[in-house]
Amino acid sequence: MTRPATGTVTGSFAGTRHLLRLILRRDRVRLPLWLLGLGGMITSSALAVPTVYDTPAKVAGYASAVGTSPVSYLMSGRQAGIDTLGGIVANEVSQVAQLGICLMVMFLVVRHTRAEEESGRAELLRSTVVGRHAATLAGLVHGVTAALLVGLLTTAAMLSVGLDTLGSATYGLGLALLGLCYAAVTLVAAQLSASARGALGLTGAAIAAGYLVRGVGAVQDNALVWASPFGWAQRMDAFGAERAWPVLPLLALTAALLGLAALLTAHRDFAGGLLQPRPGRARASRALGTPVGLAFRQQRGLVVGWAAGLAALGLVYGAVLPTIPDLVESNPDIASVIGATGDVEQALVDAFLRYVFVFMAVVSTGFAVASVLRLRAEEESGRAELLLSTGLSRTRWVSATVSVTAFGVLAIATSTGLGLGVGYALGSGRWDRVASQVAGQLSYTPAVLLVGAVAFALAGMLPRWSAAAWAVIAFVFFQVLLGGTVRLPDWVDAASPFWHLSQVPVDAFAPAPLLVEVAVAATLVLLGTWGFRRRAVVPG
Amino acid sequence: MSAIELHDVVKSFGSVRALDGLTLSVDRGEVHGFLGPNGAGKSTTMRVLLGLLKPDVGTARLLDGDPWGQAPELHRRIAYVPGDVTLWPNLTGGEVVDMLGRMRGGLDERRRTSMLERFELDPTKKARTYSKGNRQKVALVAALASRAELYLFDEPTSGLDPLMEAEFQRSVTELKREGVTVLLSSHILAEAEALSDRISIIRAGRVAQTGTLDELRHLTRTTVTVQTTRPADGVGDLPGVHDVRSHDGRATFDVDSDRLDAVLAHLAGLGVQSLTAHPPTLEELFLRHYGEQVTA
Repeated sequence: MTRPATGTVTGSFAGTRHLLRLILRRDRVRLPLWLLGLGGMITSSALAVPTVYDTPAKVAGYASAVGTSPVSYLMSGRQAGIDTLGGIVANEVSQVAQLGICLMVMFLVVRHTRAEEESGRAELLRSTVVGRHAATLAGLVHGVTAALLVGLLTTAAMLSVGLDTLGSATYGLGLALLGLCYAAVTLVAAQLSASARGALGLTGAAIAAGYLVRGVGAVQDNALVWASPFGWAQRMDAFGAERAWPVLPLLALTAALLGLAALLTAHRDFAGGLLQPRPGRARASRALGTPVGLAFRQQRGLVVGWAAGLAALGLVYGAVLPTIPDLVESNPDIASVIGATGDVEQALVDAFLRYVFVFMAVVSTGFAVASVLRLRAEEESGRAELLLSTGLSRTRWVSATVSVTAFGVLAIATSTGLGLGVGYALGSGRWDRVASQVAGQLSYTPAVLLVGAVAFALAGMLPRWSAAAWAVIAFVFFQVLLGGTVRLPDWVDAASPFWHLSQVPVDAFAPAPLLVEVAVAATLVLLGTWGFRRRAVVPG
Repeated sequence: MSAIELHDVVKSFGSVRALDGLTLSVDRGEVHGFLGPNGAGKSTTMRVLLGLLKPDVGTARLLDGDPWGQAPELHRRIAYVPGDVTLWPNLTGGEVVDMLGRMRGGLDERRRTSMLERFELDPTKKARTYSKGNRQKVALVAALASRAELYLFDEPTSGLDPLMEAEFQRSVTELKREGVTVLLSSHILAEAEALSDRISIIRAGRVAQTGTLDELRHLTRTTVTVQTTRPADGVGDLPGVHDVRSHDGRATFDVDSDRLDAVLAHLAGLGVQSLTAHPPTLEELFLRHYGEQVTA
């Protein structure tokens, strides 16, 4: 007769500990890199703030202008205690810290849940003593541990510059809970979509939505902030009148999402999603038979998703623009701080637009790198082998993907600019400005293309290091979002392609840097192509 | 005139020598079996022939061209089926067949239809929903529906059921009649035996034996298990019989393939109650002929 083995966990969570050990083994480099990267960015800007704002007058100046500008509200929300050093540190790090922690848990959780299931590796694991919910639980524990560690690092960084203990702890806790909440969002997305990419897309949209809703709510100073987890974490008012109760909605939403994820897991097939696959075309369309046609077919979802997402983001930012005059009236100091002479309103609008252009362009480097690195995925999966066994040359194979990437970057910038322009026109009636927003957004694309070209050159010449392209993105984010706070040396700034371009519309457009960057990108593409031509192309 | 000519090819990956002085020649119009156990270097050889890998040492010629330097031109004249087929998850099987066909420079519509029927493949299903066997069939249909001079098959029947395996053999037989060249890698001796004009046996990155089936016949022994009414003790004294083992009134022994007839005639006189015979597996064959060298 059978007899249950003593000391073993049975039921739907069986094997969770084994899975966790496997996850930690697989992420023994990746997790420390996330913690170092994110923790390092947060720490370096926390250390920089007290050196920049070293007199009470400067602190007061920050409170009256920078920290209360519409750009700051939109990007970082309304930070409590903005007239103290703690508030300034929190305001400066919040964008990188909040978006960073959400992206970190998203990538980590999808990697160990849906991506494993899609690859078929999870099937092998599930054939052992591993319960239905074990993978979900292990992924959650992993993501939440990472979020808690980032929260701890942030608190430690804040304490190290002598900030208030309660405020530092509150800020770190809010950050970790935000990560926890989005880990739960990711788990639900991983149940809904049958592919890892789909899960990343859904979660990314949820992060963008939460971030935007908080930003718009902060600019308009209304209850909209309470509709976003970003708002809840912020309204714990670290460095102000610290309060604990916003923890409740964060935990409640997390619990509800986890319940939903468990329910979905229990009611779906292994490797299945919510959507059943439908039959497709029996014959290939005319376009699918050229390498460009195939590359476009592979990436059209990616291009359309990015274009639509950034257009929506642009629409919201554009809609905020007409409210800037109200802020100038309520805060006359702003003009002196940004050094505007003459038309203060126009100067503010320009500063805001420049920031949005750069921010959007930096975000879209994510598309450029993801798009180019599809080549590596094609190679490692063995699909490239099948393609290259036909009459397709390597040059045509790689140039098809490069063209689709370049097209995608331009299409995404155009739709972002259109979103901005239309959003602005809806509030102000300035339909004549739409074209200039599109042109402004497009003027930053050479830097995006350059980042993509670096990824391509790596993939061609140093294929094992092609993931380093993501570090390039991290650096560019750091330079653009925190470069001003940390006061990087010029040579570090100069390593970012965004630093060289004319800062439209604050500065007048100058074609020279744009042409130079396009030429550098073209050279990198040639180098990468040369690399792809001379090295072995084999499944990894 | 050779379709494939590899001479002393060496290819190392780090400290592993995947190909260690491999020499292989395939004539035009022949079906050449390329046999070897797992990890012997079959797929690496295929990738050298496709110009995906560059040999460290040695020369490779494919259809009188350089597989590395002239890959796209040569590939218009060849069709390839990998051993482990990965497809684009969001394309249907039909789309993949069309796409690969076009990139190869054209597709025979009549053959496309007949191959889809022959392999019972539903072309409207998305690749992510196909099983391993069905992905294999997509690659087979794509290759067989194009008119090539040279077909490279890398363990093409792995994952296919026996009926589909038979259909594959029928397809290769048809190709043979058309006079095209086929390089068929396999670790199943029987499959290569059934189709090939000549066979090369690869082990540890080198070709150990090459020749026609008759020339290699001395390598092949059939394992026979027989139950007879009268004791089959005397069978061990017959020429060409090796390793006789008796148990429960059954005898199991190996027979050189060219002596099989005489042995069966002898057994018939003893009153056969049951008889099973199977050809040696590749592993048995290697153990028998190279066992000493391997252990040495």
